[in-house]
Amino acid sequence: MDFLLLLLASGLVSGAAYGLIAMGFALIFKSTGVVNFAQGELVMLTAYISFTLYSTFELSFFPLMLATIPISMAIGLVLERLFIRPMLGEPIFAIVMVTVGLAVVLRGITIMIWGPDPYNFGAGIPAEVVLVGGVPFYPAQLYLIGALAVLTAAGWAFLRFSRMGIAMRAVAANETAALLVGISVSRIHAVAWMLSAAIASIAGVLFAANFKLAPDLWFQGLRSFPAVILGGMDSVIGSAVAGLVIGVIENLFQGYVGQGLREISGFIVIVIVLMVRPFGLFGSRDIERV
Amino acid sequence: MRTGHFKERTAQLVALSDSKVVWSFAGLLLALVLAAPFVIGNYQVTLLVSAMIAIVGAVGLNMLTGTTGLISLGQAGFLAVGAYTNAILMMDHGWPVWLSMPAAGVVSALVSLLVGVPSLRLKGLYLAITTLAFAFIINHVILYAEWLTHGPNGIFVSGATVMGVDLQRGKALYYLTFGITVLVVFAALNIQRSRVGRAWMAIRDHDIAARVMGVDLLRYKLYAFMVSSFIVGIAGALISLQIRFVNIDVFALILSIEALAIIILGGLGSIAGAILGAIFLSLLPEAIRLFFDVFADTNSSFYTTYVYEIRGITYGIVIIAFLRLKPEGLIGLWRDVRKYWSNWPLAY
Repeated sequence: MDFLLLLLASGLVSGAAYGLIAMGFALIFKSTGVVNFAQGELVMLTAYISFTLYSTFELSFFPLMLATIPISMAIGLVLERLFIRPMLGEPIFAIVMVTVGLAVVLRGITIMIWGPDPYNFGAGIPAEVVLVGGVPFYPAQLYLIGALAVLTAAGWAFLRFSRMGIAMRAVAANETAALLVGISVSRIHAVAWMLSAAIASIAGVLFAANFKLAPDLWFQGLRSFPAVILGGMDSVIGSAVAGLVIGVIENLFQGYVGQGLREISGFIVIVIVLMVRPFGLFGSRDIERV
Repeated sequence: MRTGHFKERTAQLVALSDSKVVWSFAGLLLALVLAAPFVIGNYQVTLLVSAMIAIVGAVGLNMLTGTTGLISLGQAGFLAVGAYTNAILMMDHGWPVWLSMPAAGVVSALVSLLVGVPSLRLKGLYLAITTLAFAFIINHVILYAEWLTHGPNGIFVSGATVMGVDLQRGKALYYLTFGITVLVVFAALNIQRSRVGRAWMAIRDHDIAARVMGVDLLRYKLYAFMVSSFIVGIAGALISLQIRFVNIDVFALILSIEALAIIILGGLGSIAGAILGAIFLSLLPEAIRLFFDVFADTNSSFYTTYVYEIRGITYGIVIIAFLRLKPEGLIGLWRDVRKYWSNWPLAY
């Protein structure tokens, strides 16, 4: 029973990281229809920037995030302006491939700036173990789960109540109609990229604080694809929940079925899910008229 | 000046090219490539072999992504299956190379059904992610099925001899690769003009419309997967012969992205484009090295530490630049040049 509890706990922790990264994917996909293959690189780049801030000014966690998030949003905005905006009107495939190219470039630049060696990055979070219901947690793990909970609630409220969030949903539902009722679609796209970069930075810092800040951090972006698919690519809240599900499934596979299954169990799950429901569990079905 | 294409007989319609100029240039090119190993050095021969393997792989991917419109991010997986099948059959089961190479293609084609069948219901990006998942799963199967693949140790590939000729040495490998490349290119050109090829294009342009016109989506999508993976599997087998050692690191994810970069910058859906793109991208690392030789020091610690990053960044910039400035790719550039040339001085 203890073993199961431990597996569940560590599953929730890694799942929270997947969920955060997947939320970033879903936000961009929802409002622009593009899968941002550079999301993992965005996570990595912002985590490294935060690391530099941390080691220069020795901030504690919350001031650190206050400094990191605006920088990340600026990066998101710049990327959108420089690379995505000029591709407006091109086929989706072309835009997606631009993000693939962008991913390789960002990854290379990040590794060139900060070097190939891993760093320990505490992010100003205390390191004493806390017991929650008999299960030991590091505070960084609790911060990660907490961040997912807060961002999911905030994301839901934002999309439900705020003017910008409603506009975003309108753009997702029908871009032309949204344009006609006076919503600035290009601004919505820019905001989606900024918010997504902000979420990426939170995910990146907390992931690095829990595990390590290493040049393979970008890989987490690909590892969260199962969560993105399971949640449905256009469901922000769904992908957050799906992240937790995938994290727990991975750890249960690792614990009970076999070594090395952790990395692929998520992918096996989504191949099965996609066979049954080609649009993910919570994704909206695409109806085509001829 | 030619005013148009006037065709009076069926034979003219189905001919690969009706232009004598094209044929003679193609013949000249073939002769040059055939004579090349006697003129250039060993290193350049190796480079050309890599470029030709890239052509085989790119033509294979082009059938799936360019002609049928099914985006695949799992190319590295199919290459790995081909390379490993060849290596395992040759080294662990003692198959002769002329049997194990086609077998590599066949196994790769069969494995592609595993992705092909679930992907029949999927479209666009969902399919791209499924193929990505497939590549991950293949990687892990290879890493953990040690009884079959020797896991992380990899397999050394040697002794590929046919009638006393070692096919893994310089010129023999060159001519083997060359022969396969020519075969694959001609096969691809012919398939594209057949009913199957036209059905694939119809699926790419609008799958529902294709279905209404009587194209069996299930069958033709599976054909696309199988033919493409067969060719890619052969390319994988060639890789295993060339580098003499298969290991999971050879088939990293970046390979799938490289493959897509090749067909994008060549020009999606065009076989000539795939060839141009493959040559361009295989020679790009050399160009980077030359650049560093001239303007900086190739032995500098910066270059040696970050050689992969520099290469990756260049790939990325090339992809972005082509998509942004010339979405038709190298073949589009070539068409522009040709049009300008043949219409000169009336071109505007």
